[in-house]
Amino acid sequence: MSAGNTAIPAGPRPDRTSAARWGLYAFLAISALFFLTPLYVMIVTSLKSMDEIRAGYILQFPAEFTVAAWTKAWNSACTGLNCNGIKVGFFNSVRILVPSVIVSIAVGSLTGYALSLWRVRGADVIFGALMVVAFIPYQVFIYPLVRIFSMAGINQTLFGIVVIHTIFGLPTMTLLFRNYFASLPPDLFKAARVDGAGFFQIFWSIMLPMAVPMIVVAMILQVTGIWNDFILGLVFAGRENLPMTVQLNNIVNSTQGERAYNVDMAATMLTALVPLAVYFGSGRWFVRGIAAGAVKG
Amino acid sequence: MIARSIRVVVPAALALAAGMGSAGAQQRAEVIHWWTSGGESAAVRVFAEQFTKAGGQWVDTAIAGGANARTAAINRTVGGDPPTAMQFNTGKQFDDLVEANLLADVDALARQQNWKAILPEAISAAVTRNGKYFAVPVNIHGQNWIWYNKAVLEKVGASEPKNWDEAIAILEKIKAAGLIPLAFSGQKNWERDLFNTVMLDKAGPAVWNGIYAQRSEAAARSADFRAAVDTFAKLRSYVDAGSPGRNWNDATALVIQGKAGMQVMGDWAKGEFAAAGKTAGKDFGCTLFGSKGGGYVMGGDVFAFPKQKDAAKSGAQLTLAKVMLEPDTQILFAQKKGSIPVRTDLDVSSLDICAQRASKMIQDKSQQVASVQMLAPPAMNGAIEDLVSQFWNGNAMSHDQFVDKMVAILKGSY
Amino acid sequence: MFARFGRFRSRTAAWVALLPALAIILVAHAGSTGWTIWMSFTSSRMLPNSNFVGLRQYVTLFNNDRWLVSIHNLAIFGTLMVVGALAVGLLLAIAIDQRVRAENVLRSVFLYPFSMSFVVTGLAWQWMLNPTHGIQKLVRGWGFADFQFDWIVRQDTVIFTLVIAGVWHAAGLVMAIMLAGLRGIDDEIWKAARVDGIPTWRTYASIVIPMLGASFATAGILLSASVVRLYDLAVAMTNGGPGLASEVPAKFVMDHLFERGNLGLATAAATSMLITVVSIAAPLFYARARARAQETRR
Repeated sequence: MSAGNTAIPAGPRPDRTSAARWGLYAFLAISALFFLTPLYVMIVTSLKSMDEIRAGYILQFPAEFTVAAWTKAWNSACTGLNCNGIKVGFFNSVRILVPSVIVSIAVGSLTGYALSLWRVRGADVIFGALMVVAFIPYQVFIYPLVRIFSMAGINQTLFGIVVIHTIFGLPTMTLLFRNYFASLPPDLFKAARVDGAGFFQIFWSIMLPMAVPMIVVAMILQVTGIWNDFILGLVFAGRENLPMTVQLNNIVNSTQGERAYNVDMAATMLTALVPLAVYFGSGRWFVRGIAAGAVKG
Repeated sequence: MIARSIRVVVPAALALAAGMGSAGAQQRAEVIHWWTSGGESAAVRVFAEQFTKAGGQWVDTAIAGGANARTAAINRTVGGDPPTAMQFNTGKQFDDLVEANLLADVDALARQQNWKAILPEAISAAVTRNGKYFAVPVNIHGQNWIWYNKAVLEKVGASEPKNWDEAIAILEKIKAAGLIPLAFSGQKNWERDLFNTVMLDKAGPAVWNGIYAQRSEAAARSADFRAAVDTFAKLRSYVDAGSPGRNWNDATALVIQGKAGMQVMGDWAKGEFAAAGKTAGKDFGCTLFGSKGGGYVMGGDVFAFPKQKDAAKSGAQLTLAKVMLEPDTQILFAQKKGSIPVRTDLDVSSLDICAQRASKMIQDKSQQVASVQMLAPPAMNGAIEDLVSQFWNGNAMSHDQFVDKMVAILKGSY
Repeated sequence: MFARFGRFRSRTAAWVALLPALAIILVAHAGSTGWTIWMSFTSSRMLPNSNFVGLRQYVTLFNNDRWLVSIHNLAIFGTLMVVGALAVGLLLAIAIDQRVRAENVLRSVFLYPFSMSFVVTGLAWQWMLNPTHGIQKLVRGWGFADFQFDWIVRQDTVIFTLVIAGVWHAAGLVMAIMLAGLRGIDDEIWKAARVDGIPTWRTYASIVIPMLGASFATAGILLSASVVRLYDLAVAMTNGGPGLASEVPAKFVMDHLFERGNLGLATAAATSMLITVVSIAAPLFYARARARAQETRR
């Protein structure tokens, strides 16, 4: 502990008073419990039979474990005429996710950088306009965008849905990066300018590496938003590219059909696996981000 | 404009002349619908298989949730890439598409199959715009069924009620026995359906049509309507504390398990009973209330056909429409879906007893009641839904206020 | 001369970099917003038409009980949710920043709710909060027969259940943003505070937290935007009920846009939301821009 050989956790050195330490861990444990309870409910429900669920003891441990709901959700649940489960559309979602995340973060970070460190005329107006858009329920934009996209000939295409996610991601992405870059010590930027570095050079070799923690946050936002998106994918992606959430919705959201909650829960867990994996995997990058932060000193 | 309609009509006429299906190359039809659950999938498979038999190829685009499916289909139609066929509820949901000249009519087929004679009048009217048929109705869902657990009714010494007054007496007994009298799912649309079920029994088809079709203030201020409001309010004391927000199938489960006595729900509830291995007439009963004549509220589904650039697709549309109304298809579909056939000229002895009862009932014209979706635009139904929900939850609104607010909606621009 | 030319080139580069954003703002955002405002003055039902009806939709809107209740609900929900998520997120970030064990696991535990769509997590919440088979039943089963936790079925308390689930969903993201900010804070500050003998909590309260201004702004705007656009959560947990007690404006817009085929009324509602946001945001932005301009002038 006392070695201090690492830049990781930048917070204060731990208090040695163990009472405070206990309090800290108690707080974290209780919080963790609160955060995990809904997940617990979902997991135990997905492992129960429908009879047991109907009996209504939702917080109880399953009397009899069954993974039938999971296999059914993945392989054989009906989502219309086809009964091939939720796995249909998985690769479509990946194909939408990867380019959309990359493009939207690229455009957003570049815009945020240009708006924060460069004194572009009207920067405040552009930023203000973006922030206002962030507050409009985006569903009202669907109809005009369908018209614009079909005029441009990119309606119902993979390219079209990537553009859509970039359009709707731009306000938040710009916000994240603009505020982050604006909070960096200004000397860093000034020194680079004095050295004669240009716009893109500074962005690529100085700002972007420093923004790793924000890129991680941006990824969390975009991966989640795009992966869980349903209505935009449904309207803009085209029949061949329908995302996995369309299948998820088909399983859990039928109005008049009979419902199987264990399959619903399993299907949701399965759908959430990709964002979850990205989150767990990005922990390492958080740590790298801190190392980048340490350069500032 | 004229040129376009000729392009649609000519191939249609050709397809008819050639006896359909066999008309040349294979007919591909992409169908957008919202039937996604297990039982619904089985039903839609009937259509797909019959269409395949007729030489077509069914391309399935299933999207759960009526609003979701319609949003996707409408936006694709507007964006110039329409599906071959799209589902709507029987009613006014496709009015705007007809007005915008985006739908192809199926009038020639309707005359050939003599729809006017075989469909109930209200259904026929619901798919007709400007004197032409614009959609093919495929089934009828009864919206005002009362389901009850036979064992529970036996236990309290009651038999099948015939109207809401009798039903309330039974609910009182069930309450005394310590069970949940009325299994209820407190979501807006079911609150509205419960109100409508009470209103049809108490006020009859005249007030029903007065409110929903004629937007008549007199109907809303009538004594019968007021009686319906009073009865509806009474029902508050027969639902349990957990009812707000509950899903309809969880309410059905309470009836199935004998924790509750009865439930008001459309005939799709049969699917839940069947999934739990219960038989109609043995484990559970079904009944309808219509004290003032007119007892069966007919909802259902239709398919409409967006205009196509490609003539082959127009041919596929006609084949599909024809197949959907054929007697075999109708019976098979109704068996799987839990609905009844939309044609009144079929032998329904292979359906369950509730469906048989309904089919018999709609033979009598006076028993046919058009659903609110057929009579009023979605905006007005939505506003009434909000009002009923506001009234049902909490005692803040007086019965007079309820009537006043109803009148305001009828006169408003919804 | 040469340096100047370089500067000129960089300015141009900045404009080039902004081109995609400008295109999106002008074509997609401004175009769609303008269209939305225009539609709100027409009698459009399911499909748009150009039948001008003046302010009729707005009159209908502001005579509509549900719309008025929705605004009221949003005000309560928004305040509690933003404050709650900021507080919980900050506390979690600070706690995790104390060189605790299992940091990775804890961070993921707090963050995972954000990865799941409300379509079904809403159902899990609904069950847990339902008095007949959720937490109330569990605690009563432990022997506390009078225990009451029926907020979700009561009109006066249902909005708080949305806040609980909303904080659960968003606090992890706030934590991540705050953590990114905390980790950017110079170690020297901690050393200095330690040398001066300032207690840890005071260092946080008077030095560190004020330095997190940008993180607060980011998280605050993200949360506010998600509050104003709140839709999924209300649909999945309560569907606006009981009665109108958990109806919110974005759900009003959505329901009228799709289910109820009333484009005119839906866009009037969206336009009203837009005007509200602009009239709150514009003075703030103006004040900030002025303050910044004065700062640079000095």
